[in-house]
Amino acid sequence: MFSGLMDIYRHPADRRKWLTIASGVFITAALTAWYGFGIAAPWAPLMTIAAVLAGYDIALRAWASLKLRHLSIELLVIVAATGALFINNHWESAAVTFLFMLGAWLETRTMSRTRGALKALIDAAPATATVLRNGETVQVPAHEVQLGETVLVRAGERLPVDGEVVEGTAAVNEASITGEPIPAEKSPGSKVFAGTLAENGLLHLRATGVGADTTLARIITRVEEAQEAKAPAQRMIESFGRWYTPGVFVMAVVSYIVTRNVELALTLLVVSCPGALVISTPVSVVAGIGRAARAGILIKGGEHLENAGRITALALDKTGTLTEGQPRLAEVIALAGQNKADVLLWAGIAETGSNHPLGRPIIEAARKQGPLPTAASLEEIAGMGLIARHDGHDIAVGSHRLFDHLKIAFNAEAKDGIARLHGLGHTVVIVARNGEVVGLLGLADMARASAKPMIDRLHALGVHRVVMLTGDQRPAAEAIAAAVGVDEVHAGMMPDDKLERIQAMRAEGLHVAMVGDGINDAPALAAADISIAMGASGSDIAIETADIALMTDDLGKIAEAMEIARATLANMRQNLVIAVLTVVGLLFGVYTGSIHMAGGMLVHQLSVLIVILNAMRLLRVPAATKAHRAEAKAKTAVA
Amino acid sequence: MADTKIHTKLRSDELSCPSCVPKIEKALLALPGVTKAEVKFATGRIEVEHDPAQSDVAALINSIAKTGYTAKASAF
Repeated sequence: MFSGLMDIYRHPADRRKWLTIASGVFITAALTAWYGFGIAAPWAPLMTIAAVLAGYDIALRAWASLKLRHLSIELLVIVAATGALFINNHWESAAVTFLFMLGAWLETRTMSRTRGALKALIDAAPATATVLRNGETVQVPAHEVQLGETVLVRAGERLPVDGEVVEGTAAVNEASITGEPIPAEKSPGSKVFAGTLAENGLLHLRATGVGADTTLARIITRVEEAQEAKAPAQRMIESFGRWYTPGVFVMAVVSYIVTRNVELALTLLVVSCPGALVISTPVSVVAGIGRAARAGILIKGGEHLENAGRITALALDKTGTLTEGQPRLAEVIALAGQNKADVLLWAGIAETGSNHPLGRPIIEAARKQGPLPTAASLEEIAGMGLIARHDGHDIAVGSHRLFDHLKIAFNAEAKDGIARLHGLGHTVVIVARNGEVVGLLGLADMARASAKPMIDRLHALGVHRVVMLTGDQRPAAEAIAAAVGVDEVHAGMMPDDKLERIQAMRAEGLHVAMVGDGINDAPALAAADISIAMGASGSDIAIETADIALMTDDLGKIAEAMEIARATLANMRQNLVIAVLTVVGLLFGVYTGSIHMAGGMLVHQLSVLIVILNAMRLLRVPAATKAHRAEAKAKTAVA
Repeated sequence: MADTKIHTKLRSDELSCPSCVPKIEKALLALPGVTKAEVKFATGRIEVEHDPAQSDVAALINSIAKTGYTAKASAF
């Protein structure tokens, strides 16, 4: 029992909680006696006990600071509370100390909620790891795993290190890193991250990053730096805050000398903490950046938050961000006298002899119309295509180079078809049978289903110009642009051309965000108002250099980042207004005599709580749009 | 002698008003062997450079507790 009490005493937060509760009980007792039963006698002693209980901890902290020659808020509050006791104002003394303690307790709880997103990241990394040493499994602290060691991860466990899968398969939920709720399938060779969750299976990993050298740790560091980075407005407020407390202290002394009004002087001491003002912008930034981090969006600080909220143009550096990144069979052309099904069947038979990336979609499409017979003979001619013999026919499938090599000529119809497919930006695969071209296949990297809704959403958010700056050839770039609603296409661009385009757009008065991979496009990215890296979870350079790093290559995150940025800016402004009104109102109220000690403390604590609660709303900025959810659903269906 | 300094990262979840920042920093710097102490209000991160032979991590945590806050050592 006694040791339990000692434990509570030693733990500052617990001690404060129980002192506050006890103080509240005595205040309630005094109020009940007076207003409930009309008994006046216990009023002063009960209120004094309440003031001493709540004031005890405040005095301890004031004393600790005083020894270090630091003028703390606690010192001013305890002086005010003691002074109130001396002028027989027991109620004010009890109320001030109790409200100070209760307010601080509530503020601590709510503040830690706004910091919650970061805490969730930190807690994502487990403290221990199971490693395989000399054929035996051993538990070691996660940061003591050696690079190259084999780490075991069972179903339901979080990964303790960055690594590569060497054995086993599992569905790994990477939401802590990417914000993506759909688990990714991991198999030998896959890269995995510390802090992600193995939902099933058993994985053997080779550790490639440990402790502070993991992607998770780097993200945490970046998020913290971003949250701590001070916007210019914040610096101004902080220097104001540093002068405010001593300033009010001097005002209290001067006021007392001039007016001889003890209560006025003590009330000024009570409201001397500029609490709401100094936390108004940091709580918004912490909540906003934390909310973004939870969705796999790394915004590198208040300044970028501000820029991101103002974007009016977006430049995409490559088609890959808008496309699936994998070729699909887009069109089948049968020349005169042939039919499409046969063209695809012949092509499919020949392509079974290849594992070329262009072969896969052809085989898939061919299999959809029926079983693929096996060719009697098959030969791959590297870099050109395939020759097969089936059912007494010679089949040739490949690029025009194969046909030059085989000396098979194209007739006018074939030439027209090839030109048309090229015009659409497709890669052309030519199919011939017995030395005669019978058909053409057009393959293309198709636009992602989510790309168009995302660009629509950006337009709706006020990003009027979505511009593609790509090194790809014009037809392919234009085909994608038209499909997804990109406003402008600049194809065949070199890095310098991209830089010029960005500069030209900024000269037009646009606020330009540029999406890029951070290396080839470094000059253009640097010239943009905001640089955005996509799919950054695997790339440390992207995490380090981009103003906003998106952990996945989900386009929707750009719009989400902008929405969070705007909400955060608005939130900061609201908080500043609340805080300034409170400070002005309090001083005015104190000097006009309408606010006394207890009231002053109440208003002050309420303003701090309101500012924190307002910032907490940011943690609930709506996440997924309909399109995003639809895409996530589609992915689950495929899995 | 210079090599005896180590860097320790602590975290506190209890910072509710930036007035605690100078308070904790001063308390840490008053300990023997502490050459640098930085408190970040926004995230609750506390970075300390100290000589563990003179003031170990427990001493840092204890001195922060005396100013009224609970802090914990953190790997990153």
